[in-house]
Amino acid sequence: MIRIAFAGKGGSGKSSVSGTFARLLARRDRPVLAVDSDPLPGMAYSLGIPVDDHPTPDDVVVEGPEGGPKWVLRPGLDAAGFIDQYAAAGPDDVRYLQFGNSWGHWSTLQRGQHAWSQVVREMDPNAWNVVGDLPGGTRQAMFGWAKYADVLALVVEPTAKSIQVARRLRNITKAEWSPEHVVVVANRIDHPDDVQRIHDALERPIIGAIPDDAAVTAADKRAAAPLDDGSGPFVDAVEQLVDTVESSYDAVS
Amino acid sequence: MLSSVPHTDTIIVADLEAGIGTLTRLPEQAVEHTLVIVEPTPRSIDVGLRAVQVATDRGQGSVTVVANKVANDEDDARVRSTFADHTVVAVPADRVVVRADREGASPLDFGAESPAVIAIGELAQLLTQ
Repeated sequence: MIRIAFAGKGGSGKSSVSGTFARLLARRDRPVLAVDSDPLPGMAYSLGIPVDDHPTPDDVVVEGPEGGPKWVLRPGLDAAGFIDQYAAAGPDDVRYLQFGNSWGHWSTLQRGQHAWSQVVREMDPNAWNVVGDLPGGTRQAMFGWAKYADVLALVVEPTAKSIQVARRLRNITKAEWSPEHVVVVANRIDHPDDVQRIHDALERPIIGAIPDDAAVTAADKRAAAPLDDGSGPFVDAVEQLVDTVESSYDAVS
Repeated sequence: MLSSVPHTDTIIVADLEAGIGTLTRLPEQAVEHTLVIVEPTPRSIDVGLRAVQVATDRGQGSVTVVANKVANDEDDARVRSTFADHTVVAVPADRVVVRADREGASPLDFGAESPAVIAIGELAQLLTQ
């Protein structure tokens, strides 16, 4: 099973890439769970799920035991049952698990985050391919929210700011719980030197180079999934990215 | 820090993190103006609506909406109609800003006469009037 999380600077295109990646992977007859831990969730749009807010109902969790997590899944509900009942169903049979939304009540957000963490931690590793979308910046990645992933893909634009954030994220490899592989996806490439420039700055394997594609901006403006507009430079490049990741996993297993 | 800075002639410009997290934690009435930057996309406008609400509820001065990366009249109209009760200043989509980003340079140093920089200059003028 593939377990990959996408991180990077805000606005670098993580949600567009991760949502499209999840659906293309699912089209290869793989069960895919898309996990969105951004409190300003955007992955639903890029998946083509017509809800941007899919909170966990409050009564899904109960207070946890003393010394343990504040909230735990209610008795009788396990990770598989949670996904079955509460993960949103998306196109291409992708299931979508949202961590919460920062404009809900803080207590609902906190309960949802605990439920999300428990589900991601306890789900059967052989049941789902997991594609994660982290919020922009370094905070969540550095605090272990991508522990579920074997591969952390840094989505990097050819800008100084985006590269700077990725350089900080690269230090995650020093953490005990770091994903095994930290790789780079170069996004919005529109100059022949862009990929080399990103590679020179980050010194990490670049597993995908996605061209700047006006169709993605147009889809964003319609709150539509880039994939639903058919193929094009962006979708074709993400398809190649899926090929690369899939063949890397095949080579290891 | 913001609440402890003495009120002098010094203008403080703060760039908050993306989203509304910092805005919800900022002390009430900490600033005189709040600029809410939105792109003409549903997701960005949605976050912008929440930010305007939080800034208003917490008394963060006058709230101005900056429609950024506006490419056409449709983009402009979409933001203005959403924030009809607020002053909206449009900053056009501008390749100069993109190129400055790539070079790690200030847009002002890179293209002082570019449409986006001129629009931001007009915004500054509006706030200091």
